[in-house]
Amino acid sequence: MENYIVEMLNITKEFPGIIANDNITLNLKKGEVHALLGENGAGKSTLVSVLFGLYQAEKGEIKKNGKEVKINNPNDANDLGIGMVHQHFKLVEIFTVLENIILGVEPNTLGFLQKTDARKKVMELSGKYGLKINPDALIEEISIGMQQRAEILKMLYRENEILIFDEPTAVLTPQEIKELLKIMRDLAQEGKSVLFITHKLNEIIEVADRCTVLRKGKYIGTVDIKDTTKEELSRMMVGRDISFNIEKKLTEVKEVVLSVKNVTVPSKLHKNNAVKNISFDVRGGEIVCLAGIDGNGQTEFISALTGLEKVSSGTIILGGKDITKSSIRKRSVSGMSHIPEDRHKHGLILDYSLEENLVLQRYWQPEFQNKGFIRFHAVRNYAECLIKKYDVRSGQGPITMARSMSGGNQQKAIIAREIDKDHEVLVAVQPTRGLDVGAVEYIHKQLISRRDCGKGVLLVSLELDEVMNVSDRILVMYEGEIVGELDPKKTTVQELGLYMSGAKRNTVKEIDNAE
Amino acid sequence: MSTVYYLIQNMLPVAIPLLLVALGGMFSERSGIVNIALEGIMLFGAFFGALFVFFIQKSQIDPQVIILIGMVVAGFSGLIYSLLLSFAAVTMKANQTITGVSLNMLIPAAILLFSKMFFNSDGITTNMNFYIRKVPVLGDIPFIGEMFFQKTYLTVVLGLFFLVISVIVFYKTRFGLRLRACGEHPQAADSVGINVYFMRYAGVSISGILGGIGGFFYSVGVLDGNVNGHTGVAGFGFLALAVMIFGQWKPIRILLAALFFAFLRTLAYSVVLIPFLDNLGINQTYYKMLPYIATMVVLAFTSRKSRAPKAEGIPYDKALR
Amino acid sequence: MQSKKSSSRNKGITLKNITESKGFTAFTSVLLAIFLGLIFGFIVMAFAGPQNVFKGFSYILLGGFGRFGDVLYFATPILMTGLSVGLAFRMGLFNIGASGQYTMGMFFALYVGFMWDLPPEIHWIAAIIAGMVGGMLWGFIPGIFKAFLNVNEVITTIMFNYIGMYLVDMLIQGNLVLYLSSNARTNYLPRTVQLPSLGIMGSNVNVGIIMAVIIGIILFIVLEKTTFGYELKATGFNKHASNYAGMKGKTNIILTMVIAGGLAGLGGAFAILAPSAIAGSSMTYEPINIIAVNGFNGIAVALLGSANPIGIIFSATFISFIQRGGTLANLVGYKPEIIDVVIAVIIYFSAFAMIMNSGIGRFIKKYIIKKPHTNILLEDLEAVEEEIEVQNKEAE
Repeated sequence: MENYIVEMLNITKEFPGIIANDNITLNLKKGEVHALLGENGAGKSTLVSVLFGLYQAEKGEIKKNGKEVKINNPNDANDLGIGMVHQHFKLVEIFTVLENIILGVEPNTLGFLQKTDARKKVMELSGKYGLKINPDALIEEISIGMQQRAEILKMLYRENEILIFDEPTAVLTPQEIKELLKIMRDLAQEGKSVLFITHKLNEIIEVADRCTVLRKGKYIGTVDIKDTTKEELSRMMVGRDISFNIEKKLTEVKEVVLSVKNVTVPSKLHKNNAVKNISFDVRGGEIVCLAGIDGNGQTEFISALTGLEKVSSGTIILGGKDITKSSIRKRSVSGMSHIPEDRHKHGLILDYSLEENLVLQRYWQPEFQNKGFIRFHAVRNYAECLIKKYDVRSGQGPITMARSMSGGNQQKAIIAREIDKDHEVLVAVQPTRGLDVGAVEYIHKQLISRRDCGKGVLLVSLELDEVMNVSDRILVMYEGEIVGELDPKKTTVQELGLYMSGAKRNTVKEIDNAE
Repeated sequence: MSTVYYLIQNMLPVAIPLLLVALGGMFSERSGIVNIALEGIMLFGAFFGALFVFFIQKSQIDPQVIILIGMVVAGFSGLIYSLLLSFAAVTMKANQTITGVSLNMLIPAAILLFSKMFFNSDGITTNMNFYIRKVPVLGDIPFIGEMFFQKTYLTVVLGLFFLVISVIVFYKTRFGLRLRACGEHPQAADSVGINVYFMRYAGVSISGILGGIGGFFYSVGVLDGNVNGHTGVAGFGFLALAVMIFGQWKPIRILLAALFFAFLRTLAYSVVLIPFLDNLGINQTYYKMLPYIATMVVLAFTSRKSRAPKAEGIPYDKALR
Repeated sequence: MQSKKSSSRNKGITLKNITESKGFTAFTSVLLAIFLGLIFGFIVMAFAGPQNVFKGFSYILLGGFGRFGDVLYFATPILMTGLSVGLAFRMGLFNIGASGQYTMGMFFALYVGFMWDLPPEIHWIAAIIAGMVGGMLWGFIPGIFKAFLNVNEVITTIMFNYIGMYLVDMLIQGNLVLYLSSNARTNYLPRTVQLPSLGIMGSNVNVGIIMAVIIGIILFIVLEKTTFGYELKATGFNKHASNYAGMKGKTNIILTMVIAGGLAGLGGAFAILAPSAIAGSSMTYEPINIIAVNGFNGIAVALLGSANPIGIIFSATFISFIQRGGTLANLVGYKPEIIDVVIAVIIYFSAFAMIMNSGIGRFIKKYIIKKPHTNILLEDLEAVEEEIEVQNKEAE
């Protein structure tokens, strides 16, 4: 009988209509880094939410140091020494780092805040674990990395001994990831227990002692990392063998379809420009990937490229036409298709049916309307055709509310809509974010098929694997500039990481010469 | 100089209700609940305050004491009325704007109904005199005495007192920190064990108290202690919302905004007394429109930059974190 | 494949089923809100005068039947303001300014009625159109503020209610043709500007109601069948996505506010141009600095009608119906303000009736209908997590 600090035994958690966790057991030892592996929708988030008191399980029990405990809310979890760094940080942006750390456990006399001691304690912890922060900076003004350190300090300040990290590396550079993994190891060495939720196998191999795998809400197994391989873990996670390589034919690169010249875009958050004087071309028959860490100007650049925001200077030429000042509709008609970064915010109208969403870019064309009246029959036929062609699955076919569809199928619907429309350039922004392996494969195939048809594809991605495997050419963005152009066949993830973190760059001139 | 004294003396009793109600709105919105119902809450407080005054006016109690007790009555009634908003908005997760509108509609009708039934009139008329001609000692200070301690109401001092308390509670206490967290990022507050529902109830309740008191002070300082179901508080609750936005949801800026609006309104109603404006011969109604037009202009210039509490207006659902 | 006691999900539903069930929920929520509002009214009445409470309450519930002409007559303006608020709602705008737009429309109609000399056949039509233009103007400005300056339309339209009210009162009082200062009201309108009566005895019901219903039906068609309706609803559901799809958000905001204003303005015109049953008189307006209550009642009408033009036709009739009943209850000693209280309470409950209703629905399904096990798909799990994520995002 091992000594576990936390045991989650036979946990079952249901939501109306589904079982998110079906009889799952997870045991956490003192001083270990324990990975929780699974695809999107496997039930990882639900399971840790149960442990953190955000949800209550219908069945099963949780033990701490062998004694059964009830965790009804995050307060209970905190009292038991359980802390969590959430995937989307739970930080109040207009508060300082210090205020965020003490929120909920504020030192006070008769209700009046006393920050002096708190500050001392935070700075001590910061020094001890190498978590560099500025306690008086506002959250909205600091980097993602520092925000994450503030989250970690939040747990340490509360003297938590069980630390949950929910997909913590998604927002970091390779170098920052390395640093974080080291911090996790240090914390385990100090006797803390770390539960590390991820779907990235390399990180698990690097840092974890043991790994528990979930699939489709069910418990698959727990393995010792030293006895397993990446392939084994991946098989457990997906349920079948998957290839890590994507098949790509060689194609001929054609003429330039999209040309960006000296584009500068102002920032909404600060006075500096978010995008500084960038230039590049996309040719027909190639996938150009705009790589970089989130927040380095990609979002602003894409907004300006697709017409959601204005550029302050520079020109954008699409298929020989200057579209710098054109409306969104004009760009769309001129041959630009756009798979947006946020499918819920931009890509879909969740309260519209699937068929209404499928004509979102085209409802005004003569094919679908007559003197201002929508031709519902034509819309239905077109939707049924797309659904078949692109295998979009939904409960009730064309009349399904977009809201009730799964993320993968929502994304398929957007891709169907954007690809089926006449286009020269496909702008795809993080098209695979939050999807399971099957959907990711499907989307990559679609992007490559566009390229094989001789269209230009501009892919914005934060996932290094995607950047390396899908693209024909990589442009790295750092602080609003393109700092390097790389050939995925000739570079390594490490080198890419150096460019992404700004540690390395080749000058604009060199890029020009290269072309 | 006498015009300046006159304007200041008349502006303050108008500014105070705006200030209090806007501060109330601030507490509510910084906890995450949009409070369109301020107009109704004000009227509700004003009504019960006036009702209290009506019943006690024949006793020999000092008018200033009556203000103090009436203030408690009004604050308490505002609190009760605001519970209707917090129940709908927090517990039932209803649309906050619609709820607010319904609460604004309910009160004038209820007052008319009640007054017609019991007083056979459209409102409550009292004959209490709360006016302070001159505060002993302080009123004799040159300049300042005449500006702030003559021809005034007790409400002015009380209002400023509430401002100070509000600032302290808002920025210096645990309660204030947690309240602001709930309006900005309730998920974050919840994840560190703060009861978002409770804090939102608290925020709305404070707005109820301040709104009710503001309404009573309006009735005291502007309507001579009367309340009428038809004219109500003349959109002061809505103006207070504008004051709050203009004040960027921050107490001291709200004070300045309230003074600005009160000044415009005082000006509008004193045109005949100010020879310069009177000689212009502009219809007085234009001046009456001035505060509302000014609101539009001010909002036009500030709205692009203004930063409302992030989570305001969105019901918080524990089940969906 | 997993299985569980599934209660809330039912696969293989047809389109008909869905629309029916969705409409059904909205409808039952509305009924629930009305029911609660009436109960509240009953309690208030019982408190005010227990002896006649049943008689008075039956007046409210049934009295309208005896005066259906009047019901339709008083339904006309609130039907228009209801359509105004409802249309803006579908676009995601809260038009509290129907009152101001209504008042402006009324003034424009009055002005054309008194000041313009037109052939009798078209005079009343010109006055109606003028009313529409007045309302449009008062919707246009908040529309501009919203579209270009990002000023919250709730505040703007409230401010415009006050500005419009003061402005109209001043303009009327300053015009000696319009204003009869000895009676503190406007003059009687010439017969030629009054709307043709429908000739129901003892009632002022006129062609206004027919026009209003036709406008309601047209709006329904516009919303459901046209590209403009598609864009308008899309913007109301998700303005970011509609922008992404190349719809002209700013233009549509202004257009919607203009149309909404025009609708409310027509309401004002219909109200003031209505014929009077008493020969030689007409409707009049008293400039006493009060915001038009018909505008606020439009909010109630729109909410009760679920912002659907057809629903609004019915809800306007209903509100007018109980208002007539309230007037009748006056006969046995109840103040008609009771109805205003009831309407406010109905809006209050309708703001969260949907949720209450689904709560009751869940309760019924959970405890009364127990379903056997059904199979569910992984898809569903993902869809739920997706849903949670959406909600969270919306919450952030």
